Amino acid sequence: MSLFLSVVLKLCLAALLASGLMCLYRMRIGPKAADRAVAFDTLAMVFIGIICVLCIQWDSVLYFDAVWILMLVGFLGSASIAKFLEKGRIF
Amino acid sequence: MPSLHEILVAALLLTGTFLMVLTGIGLIRFPDVFCRMHAAGKAGTLGVVLIVLGVAVNFAGTQQDVWLRGILAVFFQLLTAPAATHLLARACYICEYPLSERTAVDELRGYLPSRPDEVFNQE
Repeated sequence: MSLFLSVVLKLCLAALLASGLMCLYRMRIGPKAADRAVAFDTLAMVFIGIICVLCIQWDSVLYFDAVWILMLVGFLGSASIAKFLEKGRIF
Repeated sequence: MPSLHEILVAALLLTGTFLMVLTGIGLIRFPDVFCRMHAAGKAGTLGVVLIVLGVAVNFAGTQQDVWLRGILAVFFQLLTAPAATHLLARACYICEYPLSERTAVDELRGYLPSRPDEVFNQE
């Protein structure tokens, strides 16, 4: 891996970490449940980005399947919180 | 001198990361929950799609080819993220989450049943 790409990967990791910290801050202060749900969804996306950057850094696609799982968990989490807020129950 | 392949990967990764940072800033700065969903639902989705495409381009042509998984992950994200955001926004509107005081027009007023929430609607 060239120096150029490794510098870009470090930069991406730092920026994604900053974005994740912003999501955590919104989860901490966000006045109601839906704000926290949105922040959780975004945090799952940030984790997907971190996993992708680390895949390139380690030159391995072993962890690429975790992308699927995080997408599923984010979607199911948001959908079930929405159902619960709307009807008072999930099913 | 980096090759064209690496420049393409770096451009995809940097654009996606820039969009993710914009999502984080929007989550903190925007005034109400619907504006925050606007930030998270559009910029976040596009950022994830670009980063996953960057991985797929990076491993293209090597032993570990992830084109199919990458394209399917992009398709899946584009399918589920709008649905999740829409469900959550509808639930927030039904639960009468407060709009920002700078809201000019509320065209949805009177079209959805209102159900003020007892459990989660407290500060």
